[in-house]
Amino acid sequence: MGYQTPYAPTRSELSSCIQCGLCLPHCPTFRLTGKETDSPRGRLTAMTAVLDGVTGIDEVFTETISFCLGCRACEPVCPSMVPYGRTLEGARAEIAAQKGGAARRLRGWIMETWLGSPAIMRVITWATAMVQHTGLARIAPRRVRSGLRGLRHIGWRTASLRGRSFEPERAPVATVGLLTGCIMGPWFAEVHQASIALLVRAGYRVVVPSGQTCCGALAAHDGAADGAARLAVRNAAAFRAVDYVVANAAGCSAHLKDYHHWAPGDTLGEGWQVRDITELAAEAVEDGRLPRLEEGRGVVALQHPCHLRNAQRIITQPRVILEAAGYQTTDIDPVCCGAAGFYSILRPDTSARLGRDKADEIGRTGATLVASANPGCEMQLRSHLAGEYRVLHPVELYMQALSDAPEGQA
Amino acid sequence: MAATLTGSNTKLRDDLIRLLGTERVMDSTLERHLYAKDAGVYIGNPTVVVMIETTEEVAQVVRAARHHGVPIVARGAGTGLSAGAVPEVGGVVLVTTRMNRIEEIDAENHTAWVGPGVINLDLSRATTPFGMHFAPDPSSQSACTVGGNIACNSGGPHCLSEGSTVNHILALEVVTDTGDVMIVGGGAPDPIGLDLRGILVGSEGTLGIVTRALVKLTPNPPDVRTMAVAFPDIEDAAATVSGIIAAGLIPAALEMMDQLMMQAIENWLHAGLPVEAGALLLAEVTGVTEAVEAEAEIITRIAHGNNALSVQVAVSPQEREILWKSRKSAFGAVAQAAPDYYLHDTVVPRTRLVEAMRQVYEIGQRYQITMMNVFHAGDGNLHPLMAFDASEPGRLDEVKAAADELVEICVEKGGVLSGEHGIGIEKRHLMPLLFTEMDLDAQARVKEAFDAGGVFNPGKVLPEGSRCFDFGRPVPEGAWV
Amino acid sequence: MNTRFSAIPSADISADRAIPPAEVVLAPTTLEEASQALRIATEQRMKVLIWGGGNHQGYGHRVHPDMVLITTSLNRIEVWEPEDLTIVAEAGTRISQLEEMLAEKRQTTLLPNPSPTGTIGGALAAGLSSYKRFRYGPSRDRVLETKVVTGDGRIVRSGGRVVKNVTGYDIPRLMVGALGRMGLIGSVCLKLIPTPAAAVTVEVDDPAVALATLYRPLAVLSTPSGHSAFLWGTQAEVESQAGRLGGEVLSGHAWPPMPSRPVAWSLRLPPSQLSEGLERLPEGWDYVAQQGVGITECTADQVEIGAAKELRGWAESVGGALVLTNGPETLYERIDPWGTPPAGLDYQRKLVAGFDPYRVLNSGRLPGGI
Repeated sequence: MGYQTPYAPTRSELSSCIQCGLCLPHCPTFRLTGKETDSPRGRLTAMTAVLDGVTGIDEVFTETISFCLGCRACEPVCPSMVPYGRTLEGARAEIAAQKGGAARRLRGWIMETWLGSPAIMRVITWATAMVQHTGLARIAPRRVRSGLRGLRHIGWRTASLRGRSFEPERAPVATVGLLTGCIMGPWFAEVHQASIALLVRAGYRVVVPSGQTCCGALAAHDGAADGAARLAVRNAAAFRAVDYVVANAAGCSAHLKDYHHWAPGDTLGEGWQVRDITELAAEAVEDGRLPRLEEGRGVVALQHPCHLRNAQRIITQPRVILEAAGYQTTDIDPVCCGAAGFYSILRPDTSARLGRDKADEIGRTGATLVASANPGCEMQLRSHLAGEYRVLHPVELYMQALSDAPEGQA
Repeated sequence: MAATLTGSNTKLRDDLIRLLGTERVMDSTLERHLYAKDAGVYIGNPTVVVMIETTEEVAQVVRAARHHGVPIVARGAGTGLSAGAVPEVGGVVLVTTRMNRIEEIDAENHTAWVGPGVINLDLSRATTPFGMHFAPDPSSQSACTVGGNIACNSGGPHCLSEGSTVNHILALEVVTDTGDVMIVGGGAPDPIGLDLRGILVGSEGTLGIVTRALVKLTPNPPDVRTMAVAFPDIEDAAATVSGIIAAGLIPAALEMMDQLMMQAIENWLHAGLPVEAGALLLAEVTGVTEAVEAEAEIITRIAHGNNALSVQVAVSPQEREILWKSRKSAFGAVAQAAPDYYLHDTVVPRTRLVEAMRQVYEIGQRYQITMMNVFHAGDGNLHPLMAFDASEPGRLDEVKAAADELVEICVEKGGVLSGEHGIGIEKRHLMPLLFTEMDLDAQARVKEAFDAGGVFNPGKVLPEGSRCFDFGRPVPEGAWV
Repeated sequence: MNTRFSAIPSADISADRAIPPAEVVLAPTTLEEASQALRIATEQRMKVLIWGGGNHQGYGHRVHPDMVLITTSLNRIEVWEPEDLTIVAEAGTRISQLEEMLAEKRQTTLLPNPSPTGTIGGALAAGLSSYKRFRYGPSRDRVLETKVVTGDGRIVRSGGRVVKNVTGYDIPRLMVGALGRMGLIGSVCLKLIPTPAAAVTVEVDDPAVALATLYRPLAVLSTPSGHSAFLWGTQAEVESQAGRLGGEVLSGHAWPPMPSRPVAWSLRLPPSQLSEGLERLPEGWDYVAQQGVGITECTADQVEIGAAKELRGWAESVGGALVLTNGPETLYERIDPWGTPPAGLDYQRKLVAGFDPYRVLNSGRLPGGI
């Protein structure tokens, strides 16, 4: 009974919830079922119930906690500032520790060792490319079919960026370390290229530390807490020498910002500072280190990834970048698109329902170009949108605009 | 904790599952625990929780519950603060969140038929394209349901000019104690017969279960001025409120908050509130441009005459929105001060506001409870917020005692127990402060007329033993019933 | 029968509205006296008719009383709190007198005030509202507290003397329109409003245009001779709104008079049905129609039962009602003054039974003979 791991939700975290219920309508799962058990308030009460010994970690508790998308839409609307995302990771760590079956342990092992290993990711990438190129995707199991549909075109192999560094023309504003991530490197290589080009152009020295690994977000969200902690320690060491760690996947930057929960105090350098690429880019636009380009590139539907908007409160920055690129933006309602990391595989029905809603909404905006600053969202959107839609990272859109711009303006 | 199901309750659960299916019938320890309370401090003990989707299902659940002799407690979003939706003596918690369809918006008649589970703010958003909104706007409006608003006759800042929920409900579809369905009221004015609609609104789910409502929609004003006026202290702010009313104005809203409250909100929202001031008055005037300009000017003049430190007028809709957000999320921000809070709700005649406030602070000091204040000054509706830590032994009892004292001083000043939260469990023991035995007996007769068998939300609103008065002798045979 | 009750102030009894013959006619001066009278009536199983200014006795089924209780001696103003915008007055107080007093501080109850003898209790019991209801809502929304004497003589207070209150069941609201079946309204606390500075009446060609152009006017009324919009507010507001309409502007509110004729009806329709309702009015009916509200008050010299029934049939089919509000005694025997009774009759009956167990007070007046 009760909690057993150091990751467990604490009394002070849980008691900051005053049960006012303002979070309820913002929760996608509550909106789907209308049940208290599927609301943030209900989940926090459930976590407290376990802490108090009212109930144990039983099936109902596990279902309540597992059904959560982890979108953290409840956080910005919470006047009591409850750290919901943290407690959720804690509760999932407890479920994994106390009720971890073989499947869950296997998942945890995959998330740490496979995602953490560039070599294995290369093999997976090769296999995925094979599936994509041969049309095998059509006969893939339903759970992964949607994910495959959402992928960008994957090359057979991509050049590794690890160990390289990129110098700006003038004295650098700061040195940033780029997280290449687990899937970003091989599957979203264009986003890395655009990010590096943008950062250098904005005056940053960019290094890509070779000792780095997967950020551990997927493991942490799934309750594979020890694995997530080990990944955090490795990254903490790898990025010691930089001013900022920068990530271009919202899920990664959000998790890196939470490292003080994962890496023991002495392993995380005092100056541990993380920025999402959209923050640095928007700052550079506002400081004049990146030019504002001519308007008239058309309308782009701006999707707000949950881990950008809710976890990091980065709301205006992507718009700043896109407007500087010459686009007009139209916001998409910031309800989770249903990707939610591994959620789309674990709960394909709920995920697909949210994905379809999101696609319908994008359809209503009339725009066929969509910007998303998170790879999971990007894949989800692409898999639910028809072929004429393009989904790209805001940084890519900016760099494309820059390369299209006449000499003088750029 | 929750008692295990008795044999008869197991049969009830089986019946409910037959009616609704397993997904919609919840009775595990954890599920019942999650439905044991609302947003207040009282904890009940549900026997079983059901998610209902149609009127017919409600009727069937009522019949089943009656058959098994188990009461029913209706629940919307669970944002109530007086424990109206807390199943104190067990029973079926009937959740209406899935009855959330806006069935029909009649732009010509300014009405809409809606399910009880429709979220208050969703309704106003859906009617925005028609240039209308649902006027009741409780602070929880982004989460609370229209059904809950009807049960509690909810108010909100704008009921100063528009009146509470009851003024905005034209008809109700109700499932009665016999499991029958009736529609009371109607789309035409002054329906004939007794105003059953009016008595059902605010009855806290004790007389029947509302399954649909015909709501009145209010035209959106062509222009708005929202003003944030800072004062050195509450007295000056209150004098300004009196001055505004005396000048013949009834603004759309007149809200006040004290310094502690401002600080807590500012800490979360960064709304730019004047945290160095002793009190903030939020005044909003609506109407045609000429009217709002003239009224804003009058308010500014009165405020300056009462030592206003600054008068800030929201220019953009965004500025207006953030001011209202700061007002409406105030109660949640209090959790930064202490892990638990008790949000009170009492009313005094507007002219007695200042003296009531002084006593509120005095009570806070005596009980060593942090008192933050945010309230509907125009209505004299006080909302002292008490921040405390319920894990300290005996603390909750002290807070409740302080709360009772607050009500007593308000009643002494000619006020009432509650302006918009309802009586529920929270204040029923205080009802005799305001009403005689005979008054309470009359209210109990209302309950008896609708629900003699006590199937709907038993024990709420009236203290036990209210139905005591038979004027000398029992009603004899042949009395007309 | 009891000398403690005061003599009837005969001047208060309107000459043209004769109090029906009864064994006893009483004019209690306090609620306690009214309570005693009703306890006696209950013991003796007498039928009691409540009589205020005698203006609204045409509402509902006829009562043949053994006792008449005249309320006009219950006419004290208990408390007026101008700064709180509330007043507590006994229900026999004439609205005209009350309004005259309130006007000193530019306040008003918004109660209808068509006859100098009309009382607060009469207007509320009959559930009547003034033409200003389009902007401010019905009279029911203005009653904060009531003190009533039940059929068996209990004095029951409900509600409270503040403008916002959810303490207990809203019995005051139930008293409005109950025609005394839930008790004799003894005293009430009313919510006041400050009387705005400027008032104008604007003649309009098309009421629909007026409704669409104006932001919440005070009223838009139609009569056989034309349509008018009524505005109330600050000088600047009224001028600006009137300017938008472009019709002839009269200073002040020129409320249309309702021609006094032997038969009166109240046609109540969803607002969108009002214009069709006017087209369907039988030949020769005078009317004042409240646009946007849906009420049309009508008067006529005589009744063709068939035409009234046809109009009622249509009104009921669109969710409305046609209520007979005045007419010769015999008319009430030929046509039900209310029409089809509403839903929930059983609950209405039970509610009344809780307040008047022996069917003493105004018994039978409500729809369904309650």
